Amino acid sequence: MHVTALRHSRTATAAQDGPPSRKHRTTAGGARRLGTAAPFVLPSLIGVAAFLLIPVVIVLVLSFVQWNFLTPPRWVGLANFSTIVRHDHVFHALLISAYYVLWNIPFQTVLALALAMLLVRKMPAMGVFRALYVLPYMSTPVAMAVVWSWMFNAQNGLINHLLLLVGVHGPDWLGSTSTALPVVAMVNTWQYAGYNMLFFLAGLLAIPPQLYESASIDGASAFRRFTRITLPLLNSTMLFVLVTDIIGSFQIFDTVYVMTQGGPGNATNVVNYQIYQTAFQNFDVGSAAAMSLVLFAVILVVTVIQFRFFRSRITYEIA
Amino acid sequence: MAATTLTPTRRSTAAPAPLKKTVRILKYVVFYGCLTLIALVFLAPYVIAFFGAFKSEANLFSTAPWSPPHSLYTGNFKTILFSDDFIRYLGNTLLVTCALTAGQVTFGVLSAYAFARLEFPGRDALFAVYLATLMVPNVVTIVPLYTMMRQFHLTNTYWAIFLPYVLGVPYTIFLMRQYFRSLPSEVFAAARVDGCSEWTILTRILIPMAKPIIVTATLIAFVFGWNNFLWPLIVTDSNAKQVLTVATAGLQSAFNDQWNLVLAASLVSLVPLLVIFAVFQKHIVRSLQLTGVNR
Repeated sequence: MHVTALRHSRTATAAQDGPPSRKHRTTAGGARRLGTAAPFVLPSLIGVAAFLLIPVVIVLVLSFVQWNFLTPPRWVGLANFSTIVRHDHVFHALLISAYYVLWNIPFQTVLALALAMLLVRKMPAMGVFRALYVLPYMSTPVAMAVVWSWMFNAQNGLINHLLLLVGVHGPDWLGSTSTALPVVAMVNTWQYAGYNMLFFLAGLLAIPPQLYESASIDGASAFRRFTRITLPLLNSTMLFVLVTDIIGSFQIFDTVYVMTQGGPGNATNVVNYQIYQTAFQNFDVGSAAAMSLVLFAVILVVTVIQFRFFRSRITYEIA
Repeated sequence: MAATTLTPTRRSTAAPAPLKKTVRILKYVVFYGCLTLIALVFLAPYVIAFFGAFKSEANLFSTAPWSPPHSLYTGNFKTILFSDDFIRYLGNTLLVTCALTAGQVTFGVLSAYAFARLEFPGRDALFAVYLATLMVPNVVTIVPLYTMMRQFHLTNTYWAIFLPYVLGVPYTIFLMRQYFRSLPSEVFAAARVDGCSEWTILTRILIPMAKPIIVTATLIAFVFGWNNFLWPLIVTDSNAKQVLTVATAGLQSAFNDQWNLVLAASLVSLVPLLVIFAVFQKHIVRSLQLTGVNR
């Protein structure tokens, strides 16, 4: 990412000055080096192998069996996947997840960018406001979901009390199918907008101010400066923020578990919640494994599409 | 405005000085007013939780959510903190989070050092494998991890809660490796020429130089451990080993919608992170920016 290169030129130059790898290496020397490195690398290697690589292999195997954790597993071939295709509950859960992403990501990203543009000015107390906006990111999602449930409580919550002031009887936010999902998305927007603001701030600070000056002299309007300078130069920041946020959004669980338990009806039954229920409440391990692989595939495809989209746009090297 | 007519205009296009000043002050007021309003929205849940936690149940439902408690009613906190369960959850969480953090940072530093500063066959390929695992969604590994823990009879133990994260995780190893590589290599070369062992170089040279990123990695690990929910929810099913997040998620049903208690308990579970944020605020903001764009 060129922003990185600009901000951390130290890192960029250091990329080459790591230990040079020589082609001619004696076997004995290699063995000795391996011996030196082994105590350093082995703990994490065992961790990565045991808790990341082996589980991925196991989940592949599990997706081909029928199993309830107790009786011996039975090989069923592709049956778990064909069930997913035939019954639309997984498709429905994916759709709910997609709705959730659509409620969450646009608001969150626009808000984060807007906040960054407010705080990028060199004025007093910007640091205080920056810290206050990031604060939600530092709090336990489960605990905040509890607090937000209280705020959206139909009878005594803050939101409906405020609405009453202007004479509106607020709905039962979390108990109604039309509002539950947007409310859950809003809570996550609240939690992560300030965090994303930090990345946009870093991106904005990397844009040379001369660009704006010369554009102003040429008579470019504020809107035009935003669309022609700010947005294109934030390309890589935008890619990073969108990719990581969308991956995270597709895996939303904590807030849903606390605030709605997937309900009302199926209104907030996102994929992760459905996988959790399938595996640990219905004890249908094979289906859950297959579903998690489908989610993995969806996330991969969405990520690749974003990379394609952002790569196809012109990026400017400002380093 | 009266002031404008009194001031002679030097240039026809520029506004007179006093008016300009008024406009500037007005702009300041609007700007900071907006920032404060936004800050209020961001802080509202904390304030409302704080107000609610210090009200008795009767008071909570008879007063508006935004009205501060008339007197600081501490009964809710007494009820929670004097219940054995809650103290146990707090203790469990602290124990598990500290073990997770200590292991993850120690083993992470070791691996990051090897990937950044040692030369050994297969290093780059192995590091590529670490990076590739960053793409695997959490939920994909949850089901197999649970079956593994069952197989080894580790469910419902402290071990099960922190074991998958204690040997170092690729994300923080990556962060630290990048930082370690950015340090001037001459220092390390000089130390080797002087005959220092790799352990001496690591403990005497690298760790003191890399303090900022190690603090960052420690914070990331601690916050992750403290907030972790799905995995402890799955791998523990007894009161004895339950952690705070799992207990918090069950508060509403546990306290039968006594929101005063629910809010007090949530607040208690948030306090450690709030303290950490207050202490490390500048560091956190700086390192989040660094880690994010470098990722």
